[in-house]
Amino acid sequence: MGSIYWEDEVETLSRDRLEKLQLERLKKTLSNAYENVDFYKKSFDDAGIDPDSFNSMDDLRKIPFTTKDDLRKNYPFGLFARPMDEVVRIHSSSGTTGNPTVVGYTKNDISMWANLIARDLYGAGVRKNDVIQNSYGYGLFTGGLGLHYGGELLGAMVIPASGGNTERQLKIMTDYNSTVICCTPSYGLYLAEVGKELGVDFEKLPLAVGIMGAEPWTEEMRREIEQRLHIQAIDIYGLSEIIGPGVSCECTHKKGLHVAEDHFIIEIVDPKTGKKLPPGETGEMVFTSLTKEAFPVIRYRTRDLSFVNIDKCVCGRTHTRMAKPVGRADDMLIIRGVNVFPSQIEEVLMKIKEVEPHYLIVVDRKKYLDTLELWIEVSEDVFSEKMNELEKFESLVEHKLYSAIGIKIDVKLKEPKTIQRSTGKAKRVLDKRKGEAL
Amino acid sequence: MVEKKFWDEEISTASRDKIESGQLERLKDTLKHVYKNNEYYKKRIDEAGLDPDKFESVKDIEKLPFTSKEDLRENYPFGLFCAPLSEVIRVHSSSGTTGNPTVVGYTREDIEVWAEVLARIMYDVGTRKEDVVQVSHGFGMFTGGFGFQYAAEKMGSLVVPISGGNTERQIKIMNDFKSTILCSTPSYALYMSEVGERIGADFKKLNLKLGFFGAEPWAESMRSELEERLDITALDSYGLSEVIGPGVSCECLEQNGLHINEDHFLAEIIDPETGKTLPNGEKGELIFTSLTKKAFPVIRYRTKDICYLMDDKCACGKTFIKMSKPAGRTDDMLIIRGVNVFPSQIEEVLMSIKDLEPHYLIVVDRKNYMDTAEVWVEVSEKNFQEKIMKLEDFEKSIEDKLNSAIGIRIKAALKEPRTIERSKGKAKRVWDKRKNDQ
Repeated sequence: MGSIYWEDEVETLSRDRLEKLQLERLKKTLSNAYENVDFYKKSFDDAGIDPDSFNSMDDLRKIPFTTKDDLRKNYPFGLFARPMDEVVRIHSSSGTTGNPTVVGYTKNDISMWANLIARDLYGAGVRKNDVIQNSYGYGLFTGGLGLHYGGELLGAMVIPASGGNTERQLKIMTDYNSTVICCTPSYGLYLAEVGKELGVDFEKLPLAVGIMGAEPWTEEMRREIEQRLHIQAIDIYGLSEIIGPGVSCECTHKKGLHVAEDHFIIEIVDPKTGKKLPPGETGEMVFTSLTKEAFPVIRYRTRDLSFVNIDKCVCGRTHTRMAKPVGRADDMLIIRGVNVFPSQIEEVLMKIKEVEPHYLIVVDRKKYLDTLELWIEVSEDVFSEKMNELEKFESLVEHKLYSAIGIKIDVKLKEPKTIQRSTGKAKRVLDKRKGEAL
Repeated sequence: MVEKKFWDEEISTASRDKIESGQLERLKDTLKHVYKNNEYYKKRIDEAGLDPDKFESVKDIEKLPFTSKEDLRENYPFGLFCAPLSEVIRVHSSSGTTGNPTVVGYTREDIEVWAEVLARIMYDVGTRKEDVVQVSHGFGMFTGGFGFQYAAEKMGSLVVPISGGNTERQIKIMNDFKSTILCSTPSYALYMSEVGERIGADFKKLNLKLGFFGAEPWAESMRSELEERLDITALDSYGLSEVIGPGVSCECLEQNGLHINEDHFLAEIIDPETGKTLPNGEKGELIFTSLTKKAFPVIRYRTKDICYLMDDKCACGKTFIKMSKPAGRTDDMLIIRGVNVFPSQIEEVLMSIKDLEPHYLIVVDRKNYMDTAEVWVEVSEKNFQEKIMKLEDFEKSIEDKLNSAIGIRIKAALKEPRTIERSKGKAKRVWDKRKNDQ
């Protein structure tokens, strides 16, 4: 019988040794950032930080935060710490009409990332004989390629199904005897529903494990997924700015996500004051990378809210667990795994001259899939045009949104003066998933 | 240090004798491997009464039976695999029919060979570590995206795995990331050039210099268009998933024939009617035998692509034999936006829908440089009367079914009863407007 760990030593390292390792690696990371990235040099200098005399983890809180805005301002490669000929991969977040956030990887970074995912998969019980159906989208999004390289390193059979075409996914699952499915939890539920309609008997399929992330989900949703698909559903967390999926992942005990602390430091801070919060208190997660070469991040503010649990897990791993993320510190929406800010939508709309500055973003979940509808008003003279002109106009706006944000948003033209006006802070988002109503 | 001219000079410039003696050894090994590990091949080799050890030259391959796409389908999904599934780490597949798609597998070693043969191709025409490779082929079950991703990564170039679609974003990224190399279908590249011109991109000022275009046949006239509009050198890259994916052969900078990676793939040209081998220079059907693949070796696989072999000495210095640009098919397969589509697949879907008449016409066209496909189909008289209001919904449900089965969107246009021309002999099911003579 094999070990229950992918890497025995590092996954069960004593806290003392783990923290020593972190400090050692943190010093190297700080020098890498200071010496190779102008942005970090300036920010350390301004804060009076000398990476060479950095000696205790407590000093970390003196270092300024890095935000998504900092990434945008340094678009595309300004925060890279390696020359471009050593960078072998680029990923990027869904862009705005402005600049998306771009991250880079050296060959070592890619290997490290694959190893992290292999560790997560192995910890969830996945082995060489397993058949992994990877239904995350491939492309600039980190989900697809992240899980792909990890599954391949583990030696399992990887089916790069990518997203969409649900009937075909179910055929593949049945015919290829998939034992593991990687996808967003909402897509997992959708697969269950379509499968039921088509007469797929999940109880008889060999599918055993789901590796699900890229959007927050609840314990109720886990129960639904596990019951309907007859699997163990494991939560995996990550974001491209830190590395992609693999920053943390649940073990089979499903009591919090083990943060890969040999590669990342997690802090929880008060989103308003930036003050560090103790274990158990909910706040914004902040990550610092410890081994990344091309794109080190120092105290990156994820805007995701969670808390940490430092109790030792029964699985024997010593790495700290974070709770399932419970929400966002900003107004970002996660629609089918894609990050969308209302401001991105607004930016697109305001460039179209026929559109009035009144709009409402309506988010819902239909058949377990997130849907996004955008209600907009047009000026009186546009509205009086023929019906098919209006349809054309809707699809023009949809196309512009798709180009800028990367997902299809259903645009609904409303008659002038029908969208409710704000009498204070404008309400731009109606999230029916949270039970909100007009 | 002087930069090397070839990725692997010894192999790429070997003498004909050396190439063929190497091929013979590897052919024998491959035959022994399939004999030992696969019932289907064992039976066929026994039936032909062959002993691979007695092979004296690569010409002896002519004694072996062919393998066809039907053989692959009959052995769906893993029947032709020659390695245990626990050693298979990747599966790809052709666009499926409502019946069975063709499925191919790779061991870790196969994945390395694949990256190696395509890295060699890319390096030998000038791709280097400093290059930024924009991979705009689709990822997923299709081999195009992954082939170039792994090859470019192996070479150490920077890979932008953008995948297909969202053309305005492709151009923004090409500009912002300073992409130097583009991998896509030729028709998509032309479409990009058009969109680029419309939104004001100046390709003369961009860093793009080279394009690897494949997954569909294209003419010299298209090359001139591509080179002029994108201001690049356009090369034809050939491959098919059954053989390995992209990397089977590619043009050198002479642009006069595609060098076949002969140390891994053995090419023959046969008369498609009689199966007889044709001499170099004569046009016929291209046949491939893999020489090093472990999970999914192919023996005399009939590609149904038409071309001829060119054994003239190439000015680039490579000694690998060349194939001419593929100039058609021996069957009725259509290639639409890089996806293989058989009229029989469409028919199968249509016939499974009860309200349709068995009269249809597939109309293929190229609009704005993009392939479009539409299927015209008649509804029964009764339904046409009853459902006239719901025809649009009906069309959409047909489109969804086609997408599920074939993997691309084909527009369905319902026609009134008795309006599609009836055949007076062999039914004309395809109207390919891309070919002017129809």
